[in-house]
Amino acid sequence: MSSVRVNPYPMPDLLTALEKLQQQQTSDTLELGTGSKINKPSDDPAGAAQMILMQDTGSQIDSYNQSIGSVNGQLSTADSTLNSVVTVLQRAIGLATEGANGTLSDTDRQAIADELSGIQSELISLANTSYQGQYLFTGTADSLPFVADQAAQSGVTYKGNAGTNVVAIGTGYQIQVNVPGSQVFNGSGTDVFQSIHDLISALNSNSGIADAARQVTNAYNYVTAQRVFYGNAMNQVQTQQSFLSTEKVTLAQQENTTAGADVTQVASDLSAGETAMNAAMQAISSMPRTSLFDYLK
Amino acid sequence: MSSLLGTMSIAVGALGAEQGALQATTNNVANANTPGYSRERAVLTENDPVVVGSITYGSGVSLSKLQSVRDPILQLRIEEETQEQAELNASVTAMQQAQVQFTSSSGDIGSMISAFFSSLNQLSSNPTDLALRQGVLTAANNMAGAFNNASRNLTQQRSSIDLQVSQDVDQVNVLTSQIATLNTQISQLQGVEEDASALVDQRDVLIGQLSSMIDVSSIQSDNGLTLTTGNGTALVVGGQAYALSTQTNSSGLQSIYSQGNDITSKIGSGELAGLLDVRDQQIPTLLSNLDTLAAGLANSVNAANKQGFTLVQQQDGSLQPGGNIFVAPPAGNQGAAASMAVAISDPTLIAASSDPTAAGSNGNLTGLCAIQNQATIDGQTSEAYYSNIVFNVGNTVSNGTSELNSSKLILNQLQDQRGSISGVSLDEEAANMVQYQRAFDAAAQVVTTISDILYTVINMGTYNG
Repeated sequence: MSSVRVNPYPMPDLLTALEKLQQQQTSDTLELGTGSKINKPSDDPAGAAQMILMQDTGSQIDSYNQSIGSVNGQLSTADSTLNSVVTVLQRAIGLATEGANGTLSDTDRQAIADELSGIQSELISLANTSYQGQYLFTGTADSLPFVADQAAQSGVTYKGNAGTNVVAIGTGYQIQVNVPGSQVFNGSGTDVFQSIHDLISALNSNSGIADAARQVTNAYNYVTAQRVFYGNAMNQVQTQQSFLSTEKVTLAQQENTTAGADVTQVASDLSAGETAMNAAMQAISSMPRTSLFDYLK
Repeated sequence: MSSLLGTMSIAVGALGAEQGALQATTNNVANANTPGYSRERAVLTENDPVVVGSITYGSGVSLSKLQSVRDPILQLRIEEETQEQAELNASVTAMQQAQVQFTSSSGDIGSMISAFFSSLNQLSSNPTDLALRQGVLTAANNMAGAFNNASRNLTQQRSSIDLQVSQDVDQVNVLTSQIATLNTQISQLQGVEEDASALVDQRDVLIGQLSSMIDVSSIQSDNGLTLTTGNGTALVVGGQAYALSTQTNSSGLQSIYSQGNDITSKIGSGELAGLLDVRDQQIPTLLSNLDTLAAGLANSVNAANKQGFTLVQQQDGSLQPGGNIFVAPPAGNQGAAASMAVAISDPTLIAASSDPTAAGSNGNLTGLCAIQNQATIDGQTSEAYYSNIVFNVGNTVSNGTSELNSSKLILNQLQDQRGSISGVSLDEEAANMVQYQRAFDAAAQVVTTISDILYTVINMGTYNG
């Protein structure tokens, strides 16, 4: 017996090989089913850690996008409100021109003054516009911004404050989302409510109507200029929105590179694994079932 | 002294020897599938020759012994590798369970942290909105819940591993006492020059089982086999087994003692070492990492909230400053993850405003949201810290698995080698059987022939006729 003896029982070896193949098949099937090659941290520890950071980035992008939706709503509501304010002021300017006509009777002027009172109320109501429960022109206060008040010089009191809010719409990218009513309707020697109030007084006293009319025109120009802020902000927000969607796509690509299953590769591995498993089982089943004992006698 | 009777006795001796050899073959065939069985070989030796005058006569054959074919060095290697594999197997299995807590899902800690900061972000676009404020509290509760869950599950897993440790110690004690008994029997048999290979095989199987539990070194000496752990703690000395015991330690877990000495940290391999590693190192590290993360988040969010003002108006009309959103973590952070909880249920207590006179300000949310991208936990952002935990768990499992696979491969090869040395080959046995049978037949034929000759010799002197 000098020849090399071989292990007469190779079965455990074959079973180990079979077990390994089966494990591979299971993980391949899972990968195909989930479309991800990282189904638990040990599948690719570094990849799994990266995925967590990327998912966090993704969640931040989603959250910025939601903020953009809400901010955009606020901005466009404010902008269209100011558009209405401008239209109303245009009507007031028309009425002022009409009132300046010297041939008008007191009654006629009274009628114009009455109409202007209506316009004043309309302006107050526009200045008190809210979006999803938030007053758009109250600064950072949480109260109705403009209240009619006979005691006040302009007949209107501002209850808001001069604060502004900023909202993050990107990492380290914040945007101012409001302009306080005290600034939108009042600034650089102009006051929307004062100008209407003064015009009404001028009409009632039939003096200084032309001056008052000029003040209304100034107010009109001032409010028109205020709209620029909202237009710019909406532009910024929209640009950021398209940037975020590009970023989201890039992120999705990175996620796919890190964790996405290579479907064709896995499918071919799976079928190769099947072949290997068949071969292993073939090997097991074709192990000799006879020994020399069967041939004796 | 060439005599017929002498020749006869040689032939009869041969019959006995071949019969003995056949018995070895039969025993091999019978034990072909017995685990741990080492095949036996008949050792036939030539009898001492007899010298008569100038002629030397051979005096036949005798069966000197039935020898088990084994390689003790290989056996040692198998035991070592079994210990290694059992250790890896225990720790990989346990860590695979632990990593479930860190597997990416909609409810894992990482996504809950993201969701919490996302809810704060949403609030900034409408800071007085109660539904959005409630959203922040809900997200905070979910985040705390994710920490509680992960921490609780890891603690539970540690308890069940602890139970397994006690069971393994019991198992070790059963095995060592069986081995001690076999040691006694083996040395009794060897003392009278008897063959003890059947018992040695049995003992090898038991030592194999013991190796899968604990690290075992065996020393063969004149007074039998001594088994110790890798660091020298006696398990079996000859016929004496030294039982291990367990005692509950200060953390409520079982420590392992041998004759009054705590050997818990000295067990080098085997299933026990794997279990102890996960119970005393891996899981506590994970728990303490989670505690650091939970406490870090709670503290920074609390601190930021205190910088701002709530929606609640005080007597003087100003807004009440913010307080803790999360229950303050315990000192030293131990158990912070398990006990993480939201301290407030009133959504107006979120301090979104940075101005005590302006409820609609969102100025303080900037500070709260910024925590998400600030390196507040061990010099890392919360998500980066968490992703590191996940990396470490994944890496432990992944490395352990590859080590386990290569250990399996090595053990397979060693078993293969053992099989090629000690395994029973039926072909070989059949061939041996034929060989012994032929020799037996021949010897029997010789006996018949001598008998015939003797008959002739006996009748030689008979006068017939």
